[in-house]
Amino acid sequence: MNDLAALGDEALKLTPSLWAAVWLVLGGPLLLGLVALYWPPRRMLTVVAAYLPVMAATGWLIVTVAASGPRHASLALGELTLTWYLDGLATLLMLLTQTVLLASAVFAVGYCRAAELPSRPAAWLWPLLGGLSSGLTLIWIAADLLSLYVGLELMGLCAVALMLLPGEADALAAGMRYLLYALVGSLAWLLGVSLLLGAWGRLDLAGLAAVAEPGTVTTIAVALLSAGLLLKASIFPLHAWLAPVHGAAWIPVSAVHAALVIKASFVILLKLWLLLVPGQVVAAWGLGGLGSLAVLWGGLLAWRASGLKALVAYSTVGQLGYLMLAFPLLIGTSDAVATLAWRGTWLHLAGHALAKAAMFMAVGSLVLATGRSKLSELAGTSRRLPLPLLTFGLAAVTLMGLPPSAGFTAKWLLLQAAMQGQQWIWILVLVLGTMLTAAYLFRMFRHSFDEQAPPLTYRRLPPGMDLVPLLLALAALALGLVADLPLNFLSAQGASS
Amino acid sequence: MAMLPEAVMVALDVMLAVLLLVMALACLVDRCLWRACRNFVCFAVLMALTWWQLGSPLLAVVEAVLGAMLTGLSLFFALGIDAHHRLPRRDTLPGSPPSGLKSWLLPLAWLVMATTASLLLLVDDAGTSFSEALMVLDLPTIVGLVIIGLGLWAFTRHRHLLRRLLAFNVLGSGVFLVLAGVTGPRIEAQALILAGLIVALLGSLLGASLIRRLFLLDGRLALGSGPGGAE
Repeated sequence: MNDLAALGDEALKLTPSLWAAVWLVLGGPLLLGLVALYWPPRRMLTVVAAYLPVMAATGWLIVTVAASGPRHASLALGELTLTWYLDGLATLLMLLTQTVLLASAVFAVGYCRAAELPSRPAAWLWPLLGGLSSGLTLIWIAADLLSLYVGLELMGLCAVALMLLPGEADALAAGMRYLLYALVGSLAWLLGVSLLLGAWGRLDLAGLAAVAEPGTVTTIAVALLSAGLLLKASIFPLHAWLAPVHGAAWIPVSAVHAALVIKASFVILLKLWLLLVPGQVVAAWGLGGLGSLAVLWGGLLAWRASGLKALVAYSTVGQLGYLMLAFPLLIGTSDAVATLAWRGTWLHLAGHALAKAAMFMAVGSLVLATGRSKLSELAGTSRRLPLPLLTFGLAAVTLMGLPPSAGFTAKWLLLQAAMQGQQWIWILVLVLGTMLTAAYLFRMFRHSFDEQAPPLTYRRLPPGMDLVPLLLALAALALGLVADLPLNFLSAQGASS
Repeated sequence: MAMLPEAVMVALDVMLAVLLLVMALACLVDRCLWRACRNFVCFAVLMALTWWQLGSPLLAVVEAVLGAMLTGLSLFFALGIDAHHRLPRRDTLPGSPPSGLKSWLLPLAWLVMATTASLLLLVDDAGTSFSEALMVLDLPTIVGLVIIGLGLWAFTRHRHLLRRLLAFNVLGSGVFLVLAGVTGPRIEAQALILAGLIVALLGSLLGASLIRRLFLLDGRLALGSGPGGAE
């Protein structure tokens, strides 16, 4: 699946103008963030206008890769060489990242104003979001373990710092918990990398995939790398820090975190497994089993949750579990099954990122407008706040996997893969997970459509705060309708191996 | 250095290794926070000397500046050494119950995996016995593995946030030593350690400011719900 063959081809090196585009996507958001630290944007349109060059560069990279195939780049720092690789997957992930980040930044402008956030911590939101964007982009394009490490840590530290901005004791405690887990996770990663470097003498993924033989050292190294990544990705049973972190964080931060940050660890994990231990069927089943438990346990926790944000946060634990099913379906299965699973996984990732960001923003609008954060206190909101509820509903369609959303197409592909691969257990997990998702998401509507409740006082929010999540939720729906377009782009590049 | 006879060099190496272990232990077991932080600074200075001894002056300088000086400063900032509201001088929180499955299984698994893998890496011959294999491990790797064990124990056992931060830093140093031991003098290894040192410093800075603010807000010293961090 992960075809890094183009790495040796001189003709496919980045041209100077493509280099400029890559640097623009890598560094642009960070620069914009630093500017915004001193001149925080007051209008949503300013953010959109300032972000246009970055989006344009991302679009251009996609068009180039679509037209002339994957590109690779090496960056020499003294004797050290970093390797980057741009294929369909990397560029599409870049587009997803920049879309969600732009939406969150636009939403954040309204959120800072409406929530009357203190101006000094609020200003720090921008450079940290920029740093997060750089870290994520680096992770998508990195083709060596050192670049991956730098990207992972840049992203992780920015994410922790973002959690701390609210400054309330609970947020700080949650941030501290996250920091401790992330730091220890990064040490496990470093130890795994050092074993690979010691055994095979190189850090670039293509080279490692060529020379690394499956053996005890490789297995242990990948186990250490995986442990570190699982800790960062809050996969069950290491999910304990996720809900308190989201409960206390600002809404745009939660949206970016659930949509992108925890996915980054998963993407790296998948990349490493497919390249380094493509024969570890038993361990892959183990990861799939963990994912299944996450689907069920996360669903149950979301079903029991009383807070709005806690519901959405636990739902993330469950939805991440579906992604883990990729391991048993991709490793040690036939090409046809692997292709289906490959497409289903990425579609699920993209659909979930868009829908979950939309859902967090909708929930944030509800909490901000009503001043209540419990599900049971939302009674009667349906008449006064129809737009956030509509957004929530549209996002729920994707998360539950109803047609025509991306969630439906993705689950359909995964289901087909499980059937063709005769791995019946995952079908059960998919069905149970969908039912649980429907159960906990409908709780929201049961409370909000309660007409008997006494009227609450509402705060008026800027219209952009309703529009942005609505657009994201619609994008998640539309992705299901035009899924073939990005998926063919993916498999044209990916499935050739 | 080259002037010194070999026996003196070996003696120096061994002394440095022993000192490192003693300082790591002193930093991790001391309930007096101020002394623990001071011991950590000493530990970081010893780490810098070890890097020098291992032939990477760049890492020695970075370790001295980032590890000893800046991390030390951030730790003392967390203690609030010259501020009005100081953290209590002693850690009076009871440790986590040693029976907790999670707190022992994970670190043990990690340590066993790291040890086995580094042994396998350094022993080419499958037929060598365990004691022979131990001889192949060079001193920094052994010290690193022991420090990893100490750090993991402290990280899971202690509940005071500052002591857990100290444990993370010690653990990190152990990982760097193992990294240097199993990879040898490679530019990639140096780059990894350099990046790791910067990450550890940034993490410590964030952690120290967090500990300070948590304490100022509601006197919390450990993770948990109640004031004081009682679970």
